[in-house]
Amino acid sequence: MRVRIRFEKTGIMRYVGHLDLMRFFQKAVKRAGLPIRYSEGFNPHQIMSFASPLGVGLTSEGEYMDIDIKEQVNSKAALETLNANMVEGLEIKSFKYLPDNAEKCMSAVTAASYLVTYKDSKDDVCYVDNILELKQKFFDEAASINIVKKTKKGERELDLKPLIYRFNIRVVDNKPVYDLLLSSGSTDNIKPELVVKAFHEFLGLPEFDELSLDIKRTDMFTGESDSFISLGDIGQ
Amino acid sequence: MKKLALPDDILMQIDKPARYIGNEFNSVKKNPADVDIRFAMCFPDVYEVGMSHLGIAILYDMLNRREDTYCERVYSPWPDLHNLMKERNIPLFALESQDAIKDFDFIGMTLQYEMCYTNILQILDLAGISLETKDRNNDDPLIIVGGPCATNPEPIADFVDLVYVGEGETSYPALLDLYKEHKAKGFDRQAFLRDACKIPGIYVPSLYEVTYKESDGTIESFKPKYNDVPATIVRQVVADMDSTTYPTKMLIPFVRAIQDRVVLEIQRGCIRGCRFCQAGMIYRPNREKSVDILKKQAKELLASTGHEEISLSSLSSSDYHALGDLMDFLINDCLSEGVNVSLPSLRIDAFSLDVMSKVQDVRKSSITFAPEAGSQRMRNVINKGLTVDDIIGGATLAFKGGWNKVKFYFMLGLPTETDEDMKAIPRLANEVAAAYYDTVPKEQRQGRCQITISTSFFVPKPFTPFQWAPMYEAGEYLRRAKIVNDEMKAQLNQKSLKYNWHHSDVTVLEGVFARGDRRLCPAILDAYKSGCFFDAWGEYFDFDKWLAAFEKNNISVDFYAYRQRDLDEILPWDFIDCHVTKAFLKKEWENAMNATVTPNCKMKCSGCGAARIGSGVCHNAR
Repeated sequence: MRVRIRFEKTGIMRYVGHLDLMRFFQKAVKRAGLPIRYSEGFNPHQIMSFASPLGVGLTSEGEYMDIDIKEQVNSKAALETLNANMVEGLEIKSFKYLPDNAEKCMSAVTAASYLVTYKDSKDDVCYVDNILELKQKFFDEAASINIVKKTKKGERELDLKPLIYRFNIRVVDNKPVYDLLLSSGSTDNIKPELVVKAFHEFLGLPEFDELSLDIKRTDMFTGESDSFISLGDIGQ
Repeated sequence: MKKLALPDDILMQIDKPARYIGNEFNSVKKNPADVDIRFAMCFPDVYEVGMSHLGIAILYDMLNRREDTYCERVYSPWPDLHNLMKERNIPLFALESQDAIKDFDFIGMTLQYEMCYTNILQILDLAGISLETKDRNNDDPLIIVGGPCATNPEPIADFVDLVYVGEGETSYPALLDLYKEHKAKGFDRQAFLRDACKIPGIYVPSLYEVTYKESDGTIESFKPKYNDVPATIVRQVVADMDSTTYPTKMLIPFVRAIQDRVVLEIQRGCIRGCRFCQAGMIYRPNREKSVDILKKQAKELLASTGHEEISLSSLSSSDYHALGDLMDFLINDCLSEGVNVSLPSLRIDAFSLDVMSKVQDVRKSSITFAPEAGSQRMRNVINKGLTVDDIIGGATLAFKGGWNKVKFYFMLGLPTETDEDMKAIPRLANEVAAAYYDTVPKEQRQGRCQITISTSFFVPKPFTPFQWAPMYEAGEYLRRAKIVNDEMKAQLNQKSLKYNWHHSDVTVLEGVFARGDRRLCPAILDAYKSGCFFDAWGEYFDFDKWLAAFEKNNISVDFYAYRQRDLDEILPWDFIDCHVTKAFLKKEWENAMNATVTPNCKMKCSGCGAARIGSGVCHNAR
């Protein structure tokens, strides 16, 4: 029986990396007494997988993991006991049984949405008066957005345009807030800082420091660009 | 959101920021305004090492059970963060509240190894507290240290206000109560220290005066400065292990600690009496927990932590009276729940091999022996009651059971060691390899067997029968390692043997500190000021800086490490009574020189002095 768990990772938990988070959940699931299934062999491990690792420094309202359990438990009670085993900055939002044919969250994810702000008032960005117009030119009116992406093997040219499903800017307190929906998953995983960096270059701003961005993942989706479904809307 | 002492840009540029944010599951949250005493408990090494320490887990739990006390944790910031904190004047903070520890009432540090002494200074320095006790005033926290190295605290006497000699469970309540009394009537540091030194096990170094002989530099007298200050400090131990405090939950670090598992202490002390082993002497008498308590604690701890592994902690688990019962319980009740049982070093026999084959993958795991010495003569000198037959017999059983990897641990530089004793090490390994080829038929072998030999260099420690023994210069240790290596290459089965040895510079320094006196303090201070810390970490250890600090302060390595001490010399730790008497240690030194074996405590009482405690193996029916 497979279960999909949606959780939030906020506040100071942003400094805990993905491997450490996985280990935290392995122990939390045991403390909660969930009848999780183990793999066979001399070093049995829990059958648990995460949709997509979240980098250190990022927060999220929409993280997912799938687990296999041996027998059905009450979803509401499981959610409560799991939450009793969380720490500040981690909260379980839903506990849903998946249909048998559901794809694993890790392979299902095709897109992720983000809200990006600036940690400190970056004067050079905040006072670009016509930022909304420039954004039109950069994104809506552009046929392609070509960038050079650094990879482990070197550099490669990449057109971002077809991989950005939404690029909106709201101006709040004279500061831009980026609302992004980006291609995600095993192929063409686009990080929000890459997109903001391309925009900075388009604006002709000097050096870009990705550590100045406050990035929050808001949700993850599966499906095609015309019919995205939140990973949390699958199952019951 | 919880406040953090470190700003975001620092957390984003240092290695493993989760070391510094606290928030671990099972960590204790109290409102500092609701308590009388704020206690910062520190393991002066990196987080992953410190979080693995059982002693701190016990004390953290015990102190926080007091409503009037909030005990928080501190570890040594790694050098990357150390530099940033210095640069930006960020004071060292406790993990739970993230408050600066300079404003705490106590900072307690555990001394698990000598090479952490500069890290004590790092903690004080980053906290913004004077490094020397003479410069501190009423507003500064009290610096208290404990742990195995507190059995000779003299090399750090200038830096600490109080030393706790013994097991923390016993005298802390009295110390904290006394502190509260003093705080209520207007705290005066000197008055408090003068009262605290009367609590059993509490040593206040500043209340003692040491004089030295002009002739040879050894101690002439070691005396309290005042009549009401005790001349002898008696090490405090828990009499009954079943009723003593033990945590029902343990903290779950985000960063993987060295011990990422439940650690269950099954007994304290050891019956064996190996003559090089400090733990085997100072933790006497051997005191066991009852097996029913252990089963209950194992269940509780697994449930409250969610750990997927449990390990037993003791100096010699095979000597625990109900090991079979306990192991059956762990295998039957825990293994099925997805919990691994990891085995401490057990004596290799049919029983332990049977247990091991149930809990680990035989093909991948190895069998470990710690004979400590290669020749029978040398093993008799150190009182390691292990014979060649035990080793070959155990290895043969293991080979029959499917293992083909064996690890051996030895020491070099033991008292009376000759070249023949050194050569006996690879010869013993060769015999074990030969036993493999005799035991396992060719068609069943999966390649060669692998016999790994590791040697460390012996460091004489206080309160052992070898406390008078000389050490050797670094070059001599390497010569000995070479003899082992050359002899290994001459063995028939040399292709099945592998040899690792340790560096020797750090060994010499460890030797200086282990048996040092308070004249070392200025040198340690200078070494820290010249940049020495994290000395236990090879990449940060700088022997030349240490030699410079010694030279500047007229410290002779020869005097502290290489010289044979006279049996009647006043040793810097003689004022501490560890229950084991000096007369016993002297007798054991003579037995060692005659290569005479002393029976273990279960076989026969040898009158070491620990029976005074009134509990444990000394009073069990033999």
